[in-house]
Amino acid sequence: MTDLLPITHVLPLAAIRRERRLAMPGVILARVNQKVQAQDVIGEADHSLRHILIDLARGLGVREKEVDRYLIREKGDRLEQGDIIAGPVGFARRTVRAPRDGRVASILDGQLLFEALGEPYRLRAGLPGTVVATDETRSVTIETSGALVQAVWGNGRQDFGVMRVVCRDAADRLQTDELVLSLRGAVIVACICDHPAALHQAREMAVRGLVLSSMASDLIPLAQRMPYPIVLIEGFGEIPLSSPAFRLLSSNNGREAAVDARPWRPYEDQRPEVIIPLPTARMADLPDEFVQLEPRVQVRVLRAPYQGAMGVIQDVMAQGMTYPSGVLARSAKVDLEGFGLVTVPIANLEALR
Amino acid sequence: MSSIPDAETLLAVDVGSINTRANLFDIVDGRYRLVASARAASTAGPPLYDIREGVRQAFDQVHAITGRRMIDEAESLILPSAGYGSGVDVFVATTSAGPNVRTALAGLMPSVSLASARRLAASASLQVVCEISLSDRRRREEQIDQILAARPDLVLIVGGTDGGAASALMQVVDVVGLAMGLIPEPVRPRVVYAGNRHLGASVVDRLGDRAHVTLAPNVRPDLEEEDAAPTRHRLAETLADIRSAKIVGLQELRQWSGGHLLPTPDAFGRIIRYLSRIHDPDKGILGVDLGASRTTIAAAFEGELYLSVASDLGLGAPLPSLLEHCALSKITRWLPIEVRESRLRDYMYNKSLRPGTVPALLEELHIEYALARQLIRSALFDARVGWPAGKDSKSSLLMPPLEPVIAGGGVLARAPRPGYATLALLDALQPTGITTLILDPHSLTPSVGAAAGPLPMAAVHVLESGGLVRLATVVSPVGRGRIGQTVLQYRLEREAGKSEEGEVRYGQLMCLPLSSTEKGRLILRPEHGYDVGFGGPGKAGALREVTGGAVGLVIDARGRPLELPKDEASRRELNQKWLWDLSAVE
Repeated sequence: MTDLLPITHVLPLAAIRRERRLAMPGVILARVNQKVQAQDVIGEADHSLRHILIDLARGLGVREKEVDRYLIREKGDRLEQGDIIAGPVGFARRTVRAPRDGRVASILDGQLLFEALGEPYRLRAGLPGTVVATDETRSVTIETSGALVQAVWGNGRQDFGVMRVVCRDAADRLQTDELVLSLRGAVIVACICDHPAALHQAREMAVRGLVLSSMASDLIPLAQRMPYPIVLIEGFGEIPLSSPAFRLLSSNNGREAAVDARPWRPYEDQRPEVIIPLPTARMADLPDEFVQLEPRVQVRVLRAPYQGAMGVIQDVMAQGMTYPSGVLARSAKVDLEGFGLVTVPIANLEALR
Repeated sequence: MSSIPDAETLLAVDVGSINTRANLFDIVDGRYRLVASARAASTAGPPLYDIREGVRQAFDQVHAITGRRMIDEAESLILPSAGYGSGVDVFVATTSAGPNVRTALAGLMPSVSLASARRLAASASLQVVCEISLSDRRRREEQIDQILAARPDLVLIVGGTDGGAASALMQVVDVVGLAMGLIPEPVRPRVVYAGNRHLGASVVDRLGDRAHVTLAPNVRPDLEEEDAAPTRHRLAETLADIRSAKIVGLQELRQWSGGHLLPTPDAFGRIIRYLSRIHDPDKGILGVDLGASRTTIAAAFEGELYLSVASDLGLGAPLPSLLEHCALSKITRWLPIEVRESRLRDYMYNKSLRPGTVPALLEELHIEYALARQLIRSALFDARVGWPAGKDSKSSLLMPPLEPVIAGGGVLARAPRPGYATLALLDALQPTGITTLILDPHSLTPSVGAAAGPLPMAAVHVLESGGLVRLATVVSPVGRGRIGQTVLQYRLEREAGKSEEGEVRYGQLMCLPLSSTEKGRLILRPEHGYDVGFGGPGKAGALREVTGGAVGLVIDARGRPLELPKDEASRRELNQKWLWDLSAVE
């Protein structure tokens, strides 16, 4: 195998498989071959993370080694508030009762760890599709066909809604007056955001998501507080939307889109993205996960001086090149849109598929 | 110890988050020499998530350079060598790839045992995600909930002096035990116990079937003494287990290396400690490794290593964390050009998203070197907290005498000119007295550190063989003065060539041509109030056998601590001038 290029997917139609996972084992409600909608709950887990340690010996007024005689529950038992856990003991008929609705998590050395139940965590599908796999306790894999645009940053939220493109040009700045009332509850696609007012305005309009090409990095703390998902397709600063992403999002204006703004964690195979489910008669292909560094591969430049420019590799050079910075780097000749044939460090290229 | 090597070829691999390096050493004239150095992209992350492909590509490059075949048809390392032209006799491996190991610390007193645990964690690239202690005011169940919410990969239990009281520590162990019982087995963290060694068996017994417990030497055997080195060694084995389970291919590297897969910072620290044992005991040794995912500061004084690994300071994914250590103005102060703070902040976040990219424009190179300076300064500031009081400088603003300083890491290694790396190190470290700056462009230091176990002489030979680049010998007088005031007079008598003499004024950064193979005698006569390390301010002296380096012999009379002009334009001009002074730019 030769060198592999990092990949960003901007695909008009692909088979998309996504795993949805509970943070801890619970109950998976969806079944294989079941069709699900984005808002469907597909799994639940007791996720209260609130425990209460109960000293049974003290509660019963007995010695630690006597506790077992009076214990009437065991590990795993589900209890309602007030249910007797141990006892009665003696003339006063002392008992220890469940402090809340919950479960006996463990019993050890006269101490009982009680897991208080809160609202269960509900795992939603996040996108419409068909369940293709589940382990029945923790994970569900959903497959759909549609357009896929991978992003580089997300604020950690997810939602689904009708997508509305508000930018006319790939380098437009998002203005508050563009966020008109008719966009209420929509997934907004804009380009550059450099002002907090637009993020506040979007919250007031209860948008379901904000898809941007780039955003000023000093807006990160605010973006992370927003209740709706925000994804950046290109990065931070004033980077226009790449032409394939702009074309793809514009051509799907008015369709429903799932915005998954989970942070990019390469080691966990987790990346923010926008999925636009599309009905299709034919079976779409799964996206390529490996793209080799070789001529005729479509690439995008990740850094100045051609940051964001698209092109096609013409030649992978045998010798390193020295750049204006003085840095010597392995390089490729790339035919870049708008620039012609230029030399770019291979480290600064990604495949766009 | 025999100086005759008992094996012939040594192959060392270092798998990082951005690069995979392979260095092949062989015996030439009875001594180990670097014969090939290869670098391939790391494949620890997407799309492969399997380090073996990067390792194989690096092996292929070594094969292309030397003609020596490394792997057989079954994709296994040929070990030992199978006659001329294939395989190697010894294989060692180091790694810094993969996500940080999420760690919960449990101990007795936050300012005693937990403080030791924090330092241990810092030296072992652990990401501390929660802490519980005896003096914790939260209820025990709240502590349990905190451990559960933190989802650690490892729980490190410390506390108690050897033979000290047991019951307090066992209370903490019980909390850990209760939490372990609630975590499903497939994701249950490993437990390392490094507390009161008399309680080891009780801890294993108490945690029983709820956790896999590894016993390590007490990190703090008595109140006065902290002894992290043996603990760190034992901890490294557990970390290798945890990482091997998460990163595909590490297990194979462990097998090839006979189970000795070392964390890169540990191997780096080994060499710094070794050098400290053979160099001037009055001076410390400093190692700086500025990587994409962490910055390692290894200092050694009289053979004792003080290793600090800042996982939140790196020129890659963790870069935005630098802003938690300092303001943007602390970074822009190192720039020779005007860069808006918003542009710098955006650059940092973009670089964290694309850590493997390289600067093609001069402006971006300047930004990366400004970031490098501040990352090193921030990591150094944190590391010095753990240095011994008698060995560190009394003033936190001044560095103690160090000889030599060894620096590595991608950004320094790809410096377009040696002057770039030299000036970055001078600004970041601000050494005092007389110091040699050495650059490790091929990441040899971790390789020879890993080799020091199976082949101790290989480490000695390689360090002496010229695989490291001597950047400069630096004279840094300590003292305050006015710009233009005479700081010292010098006379350099070259062994084979003309002598030169002159004076250096306050604020000046002077570079005298002297290569790493040239020798000379350097006489220094500092003015009253300036100390160059000859026994006090104003004391003159001579270095009988001084050599230079790729940059030369540098006299840094800019003052210690270095004070930059407050006026931005003047400061940028000065930063540019210093680059010219060291021939970093044309």
